[in-house]
Amino acid sequence: MKKLGIINKWIKEGSKVLFLGCGSGEIIKSLQSTNKIRGFGIDIDEKKVYEAIADGLSVTQGNINTELMDYPKKSFDYIIAHDIIQIMEKPAVTINQILELSDKVIISFPNFGFINISLCILFKGKMPKTKILPYEWYDTPNIHLFTIKDFINFCRKEKIKILDVNYTGFGKRRIPKALLPNLFSEFAYFLLKK
Amino acid sequence: MENINDIGSIGLVKTNYFNFAGPPDEIILSSGEKLGPIIVAYETYGELNKEKNNTILIFHALTGDAHAAGYNSPDETKPGWWDLMIGPGKPFDTDKYFVICSNIIGGCKGSTGPSSVDAKTGRPYGLTFPVITVKDMVVVQKKLLDHLGIDTLFCVAGGSMGGMLALQWLVSYPEMSEGAMLIATAANHTAQAIAFNSVGRYSIIQDPDWNNGNYYGKTKPDKGLSVARMIGHITYLSEESMHEKFGRNMISGKLAPSGAADFTKEFEVESYLQYQGESFIKRFDANSYLYITKAIDDFDITDGFENLADALKNVKAKCLVMSFTSDWLYPRDQSARIVKALKINGIESTFTNFESSYGHDSFLIDDERLKNLFSGFLKSIREKV
Repeated sequence: MKKLGIINKWIKEGSKVLFLGCGSGEIIKSLQSTNKIRGFGIDIDEKKVYEAIADGLSVTQGNINTELMDYPKKSFDYIIAHDIIQIMEKPAVTINQILELSDKVIISFPNFGFINISLCILFKGKMPKTKILPYEWYDTPNIHLFTIKDFINFCRKEKIKILDVNYTGFGKRRIPKALLPNLFSEFAYFLLKK
Repeated sequence: MENINDIGSIGLVKTNYFNFAGPPDEIILSSGEKLGPIIVAYETYGELNKEKNNTILIFHALTGDAHAAGYNSPDETKPGWWDLMIGPGKPFDTDKYFVICSNIIGGCKGSTGPSSVDAKTGRPYGLTFPVITVKDMVVVQKKLLDHLGIDTLFCVAGGSMGGMLALQWLVSYPEMSEGAMLIATAANHTAQAIAFNSVGRYSIIQDPDWNNGNYYGKTKPDKGLSVARMIGHITYLSEESMHEKFGRNMISGKLAPSGAADFTKEFEVESYLQYQGESFIKRFDANSYLYITKAIDDFDITDGFENLADALKNVKAKCLVMSFTSDWLYPRDQSARIVKALKINGIESTFTNFESSYGHDSFLIDDERLKNLFSGFLKSIREKV
């Protein structure tokens, strides 16, 4: 499950927020009404960008890495990379780039260590297909799949501070996720700072 | 076909004329020369509200005029040049906004230009008309607003040269406008754009009838001006749109019989361009074409600044920047440069490289997506924090 409520809780009212891969801007609009943010977005899909602009949002159409290059350091209070890092060509570069441009960064991603996925590989011997990862291996946009553990190790290596985490999936039961997040969470949210 | 009685048409409109800068109050141009008295032709649509904060200033392109919407007479067959966008319920909604469009100085559509009579000599200026810049054009439009008692703008908007004027407005009067629409435009011309204009100018001055700009009351340099227009017109279209419209279609449906070669009117595209040239000479002055193309070739918004970001540092307006995928005269990168400078300054901006096959002139095309985009942006201007 991908839940917006988790992001809402982390964002202070009135913040300046940049949303990567904002599409037609539904999440920006929702955050504008719940958190009174000043929302900005980048998306490469021209049709979605037209919709966003027609809805009155400040969106730039282009490649995320290129568009990010123009902003001065600490231009934003938050940059949100929601369900997108795994499709970036160079995730490490992008993550470090957005940590420079923003006070705080929110990264969310599907956890490849999730038990259903592991079991599928173990017993079926096939790349898993789930609600969150519905693609065939040959036409998936997800070119960098990783687990929660992988991501925590990455943050440690890059000296990125993890301010908060939240996990979803595996029903509403909290205890398995709290004890073994890497195994029992389908989707992960990280609040980061550098 | 549009009609004066259409819902959404502003209907019958009148061109007004503002006279000012009579001696000794001439304006000082960028060149240091004086110009005056000056006449500015302008049209307004909609009503100025009580707060005087609903004005949208529209800037026309190279060969445009003050007549942006509606009809000047019931017999007029075509409405103003941006009638698609201006009118009740249209993106520049005249039920909400007070829209102004004025003809630039140097032009020949009612405002003072080289074809106007110089009060000092009683004869048309011709080449004695001073060199003007995009900045001068904007200064004169500011005088018009002062005259109309307007000191704050809701939005400035323009495409092509009109976008350059809008950009210049933001730099000259950064506090004055809440929004800006910079469409198919650039902070300065590329060498390629200058080259095309240069060939156009060369064609005019090579016409013997041009006579050093002194042709008023005599035979006009129609041949030179029509070729200049033909070249210009090619740059406003795209390869794709020309191909769709004409392909390799022949006028007679087949090649000319041997021995009777036709070097000018064999392909449909040739006759189309010739028609464009011939209709242009009826409505435009050759000297104005020289002065205005020179002004836009000379235009560089970074003049006097360190770079583009420095030039735009005081801008307060929320900006929509737009290029068109098939526009090779003012390509995407030209707009992207402006967006980059806005971002560096933390100015709220929106950018899209709009998918269209109509080339540079795409902003004049009837397209629902474009209308929605303009409406949405205009609505969002007041929401900016």
